[in-house]
Amino acid sequence: MDQVTQAVNWDEVSAEQLDAMERKIAAKYIKKFPLGIIIWGFANTLIWLALWPLVILGLLPIWAAFPIAVVNVCAAYLPSHDAQHSIIAREGHKLRWLNELLGHVSLIPFAQSFRYLRFTHFEHHAHTNNPDLDPDFDVHAENRKVYFRNALMRKQPINATRKDLYSAALERVGKSAVAVDAIAIRTVYTLVLFVAACSGYAIEAALLWWLPLHIADIYIPYYLSWKPHHPGTDQGRYQDTEAFKSTFGNLVSSGMQYHVVHHLYPRIPLMHTPAAFREMRPILLRRGCDLRGM
Amino acid sequence: MAKFFKMVFSPIVFGVLFLAPLIAQSMTAAGLQIFALPNLIVGLFIGGGLGLMAHYRGSWIWIK
Repeated sequence: MDQVTQAVNWDEVSAEQLDAMERKIAAKYIKKFPLGIIIWGFANTLIWLALWPLVILGLLPIWAAFPIAVVNVCAAYLPSHDAQHSIIAREGHKLRWLNELLGHVSLIPFAQSFRYLRFTHFEHHAHTNNPDLDPDFDVHAENRKVYFRNALMRKQPINATRKDLYSAALERVGKSAVAVDAIAIRTVYTLVLFVAACSGYAIEAALLWWLPLHIADIYIPYYLSWKPHHPGTDQGRYQDTEAFKSTFGNLVSSGMQYHVVHHLYPRIPLMHTPAAFREMRPILLRRGCDLRGM
Repeated sequence: MAKFFKMVFSPIVFGVLFLAPLIAQSMTAAGLQIFALPNLIVGLFIGGGLGLMAHYRGSWIWIK
């Protein structure tokens, strides 16, 4: 593969040349078609949906289905995240329908609205670590223990303020109407739990959806928001996101070790951020990025 | 309409319509029974109680 940063004398590179190299690397990866994430998104939802009849018909014990459901719900967000950034196909492209379909379908296990997450996520990108404008700012915590404590406390009715942050973000960008999607999806999710529970399938509903969703609701913001933006005090293109080495590897950390690349070039497919990071690394170091030894 | 959504997302309704059957069905699956009471009554007592606490105190786990 053509390496843009090969055989470069870094002491002689100007800021403009650094910029040009960085963009050239990004362009190379943006062009790649993200087939893997498309398969992941649809297959993940399909597997999760299949768990319901398999468990209800007694073909799969619930103890075996539960860990699969946890993985499914935790893995549901990322394909939609690529779709939020129109990585599969931009507006006007012949595959645009696939981009939007993936965004909606992959989020079914996570019981969230694609459009609601897309527009609030754009605000996160535009105002990362800004205490007043970043809708994900409430995840910041001084350490891991405080993060998990806050995550638990945010689940209590009195502290459920995230929806207010998201509503404010949507109002700023004139997209308040998409909150209806979120309310509708959460209503369906809640009614499914009620109907299942009252029909004698409470344990199945709890272990296939309710509990996995609570776990995912803590796991996803941990790796996507808290860890790569910690301590959440710096703002600016090369300062608001850091690389990190996860004890559990790139897979368990949802590929977020290289999240810095995503914030610089959001249209690079998730599955190509590690390669883009490795190629961009010398540039990022010269830009003053905190790569935490990566 | 607002009333409907308020009801769907009410902790008390969640406690009664989801937690109560969940507790009752879990007890049945585990072969548990308390003072010969039907498990659904126990579920309603615990689930409804948790829902009431979440509604009036704002927390499912007492601390807030």
